[in-house]
Amino acid sequence: MSTPVDLKAQIKQLIVENLMLQFGVEQITDDQPLFGPGSLGLDSVDALQLVVALDKNYGLKIPDPEAARTTLQSVDTIAAAVEAHLRK
Amino acid sequence: MNSRIILITGANGALGRAMARAFLDESPANHVWLGVNRRREHADELATADAGRCRVIGLDVTKPAAWQQAVLEILAAHQRIDVLVNNAGTHEDALLATMKPETWRDVVSVNLDGTFYGCQAVLPAMISQRNGRIVNLASLSALLAPAGQTNYAAAKAGVVALTQSLAKEVARIGITVNAVCPGYVDTEALASLSDDERKRALERIPMRRFGRPAEIATAVRFLACADAAYITGSALKIDGGIF
Repeated sequence: MSTPVDLKAQIKQLIVENLMLQFGVEQITDDQPLFGPGSLGLDSVDALQLVVALDKNYGLKIPDPEAARTTLQSVDTIAAAVEAHLRK
Repeated sequence: MNSRIILITGANGALGRAMARAFLDESPANHVWLGVNRRREHADELATADAGRCRVIGLDVTKPAAWQQAVLEILAAHQRIDVLVNNAGTHEDALLATMKPETWRDVVSVNLDGTFYGCQAVLPAMISQRNGRIVNLASLSALLAPAGQTNYAAAKAGVVALTQSLAKEVARIGITVNAVCPGYVDTEALASLSDDERKRALERIPMRRFGRPAEIATAVRFLACADAAYITGSALKIDGGIF
């Protein structure tokens, strides 16, 4: 099972690869907002792709936009959701 | 040779079968799933003739759960889905003043809701693949809105708008979404016209003939092919020159 640090690194890799970002994982900090002002600059289409990628890679289902807003705030919040899901 | 996995709804009808034939002829590696609902005899014949590359699957397009089940089955067999053709449709013409609410609802449900549910069902797989082709069957009625077709014309106009809006949403993920708008095509629907109605219809068509199912299928197959990667959000009229 991944340690939290490994998991966050995996999630950053997943973000960069699935969203075809033009920068590396080292540019993403754990608590950096993914959306909105001062964020990584992701948009709703990126969110859609992240939802699909998290389901495919971890089986984590994000059922509605409200859950997506809560879960996809940062790498920290995504990692927490994935960990909680994997513990079930 | 690339294998493509194609799902066509409303595949028991002449148009759906012509599309299936077009995709089967495109490549011997293609697999075509024929979505059917109440009737399936023609689709069964097609699947029997092309056993191994063509399968019939029950799919009531108005039921989201049926869509989820169908897509799960296809993904279990192939681990991908490359093309969705939302072809299932129905019409029941009446003047609005006397149209029963259920007549409105049924036509909108199959034509528009069914297209929405279908797109929603295949998108996760296509997003994951970063590739996909969706072709929605609209109609010339969406553009001309003839009298007696408020339900059908509104539903098909909705299909065009859905197509254009969704095309923008998924364009950068490698998924294209297009619509075709056939005019009069020689199918079961046209066979229900009287001789006089057929004559009047022909007079409106500059080419003076009805379209053939294979001619619609060719356009659908093109919009779904790899070479059509830069075409998205289009609504292609195929009508022998009516405008």
